Amino acid sequence: MKTLTNILWWLWLPVVLVILWWFASAQSTNLFVPPLQKIVESTIRDFGNGLLLTAMATSLVNLVLGLLIAILFGVIFGLIIGETRRLRLILDPFIHFFRSVPQSALVPLIIGAFGIGAEPKIYAVAFACVWPIMLNTIDGTRSVEVGVRQVSRVFGIPKMLYFRRVVLPGAMPQIVAGVRVALPIGIVVMVVSELFASNMGLGFYILNSSSTFRIPETWGGAMLVGVIGYFLVMVFSLFEKRLLSWYFKSAAR
Amino acid sequence: MTLEMQAPTPTAVKAGRVGSKVNWGLTLQRVLALIIILALWQVAVVVGLLPSITPGVIEVFGAIGAALTMPTFWAALGQTLTAATTGWLISCVVGVTLGLLIGTIRPLDRSTSVVVEFGRAFPTIALMPVVMLMLGATMTMEVTMVVLASVWPVLVQAILGSRRLDPAIVDTVQIFRIPRALWFRRVLLPSAMPFIATGIRISASISILAAVGVEVLTQVPGLGRLITLAQEAQRWDMAFAYLFFAGLFGWGIATLLAWGEKSLLAWNRQSDD
Repeated sequence: MKTLTNILWWLWLPVVLVILWWFASAQSTNLFVPPLQKIVESTIRDFGNGLLLTAMATSLVNLVLGLLIAILFGVIFGLIIGETRRLRLILDPFIHFFRSVPQSALVPLIIGAFGIGAEPKIYAVAFACVWPIMLNTIDGTRSVEVGVRQVSRVFGIPKMLYFRRVVLPGAMPQIVAGVRVALPIGIVVMVVSELFASNMGLGFYILNSSSTFRIPETWGGAMLVGVIGYFLVMVFSLFEKRLLSWYFKSAAR
Repeated sequence: MTLEMQAPTPTAVKAGRVGSKVNWGLTLQRVLALIIILALWQVAVVVGLLPSITPGVIEVFGAIGAALTMPTFWAALGQTLTAATTGWLISCVVGVTLGLLIGTIRPLDRSTSVVVEFGRAFPTIALMPVVMLMLGATMTMEVTMVVLASVWPVLVQAILGSRRLDPAIVDTVQIFRIPRALWFRRVLLPSAMPFIATGIRISASISILAAVGVEVLTQVPGLGRLITLAQEAQRWDMAFAYLFFAGLFGWGIATLLAWGEKSLLAWNRQSDD
């Protein structure tokens, strides 16, 4: 009963907003603000004929591959830099600089250099996402306790084993938090790179429909990207809670 | 379905600087590291490891110098700064006002949580084609996009900050019948301030990101537009120079705000840590 009341509390406003939108836009004569009904119809139609599904698959594959590359490089370099005091102090301003570059500014350069295929988009996502992950990994290595560090040294634990079994798990909560920060950035860069120049993907669907004046499709595509972004962030939060349940349960934090 | 806590991180403050004393040995090492990175870049260009269009270090330095004397560059920087700042200020006012309201009125908080969460996770840039249809490639469109993107961190942080009121304080306020205005000014604002400050800082970075993103994708003038134009004209040295300035700009603002947040909230950190 309690959960039902909660759900009602959560859902009434979104539902009311959608209904308002539906009826307020129903009589719309503004070419650029189509009735919600038309948007929904065009979206369902393009889901049915597979157009949107292929576009979604293309975009998501680019996003995931870019993110994976970013995680790989971010974590490896983050662990190395974090564990080497000197390196950490020297490189700190450079990493912060790269992290502050507005990532969308990179898109013209990367696409101009590598063309409009899938690869440059993956690079763009990877380059944008690698910095928050690296910074968080560096921070994470700092959270390994001095005592644990000393014990590993005293017992002469091999470097590889030490990295894999001591530093990596110790830094894991921070690393995952870094990926959580990187995910929305990656989604934005994915969309920007596809809106900039592409021949497939969700961004292309939006761009193509707006340049051929199929306005309901433009709205539908834009809303769909938003909904996907929302779900990805939600799913990742759930994943994080599961993966790190040991950490949230422990008093260590 | 709860809002993820984004507590004011000490990391952000560390981005400023370590101590007030300048460590010359470290500075020297950093300069050396910079030279090594640039040398590696130059070697990669000469050997052909990077795409053939990548300009060498000297060309980029030349372009950076050239940009500094170009009125178009300064005009573009001004336009980006104006759009980002305008949007950011609107976001701060709207976000703080709504956030404090939502955070202190329980039914409102429960009702809006899904909408707020959705808005925050929504990749706003996807809406750009739609906003562009309605407003055209104008400054108004750019500012609208900046607001749509940057209002969420302030809103979420203001909600979290005002939710966090200590129950003992709430009771005290009730028992002593503290007037609403006084309560707002002396109880709610100070206690929510650390969270709001973090939100304001995050949203500043997002404002720049959104402004440059809009400029890259549309005909709206600004730094992002210059990058696209340079790329289209195959002036890669200029494109890299503009990118460098975009980075410097973003970094400068992030550092400035981290420093501001730190000095503004010095009282809070001392009691917190």
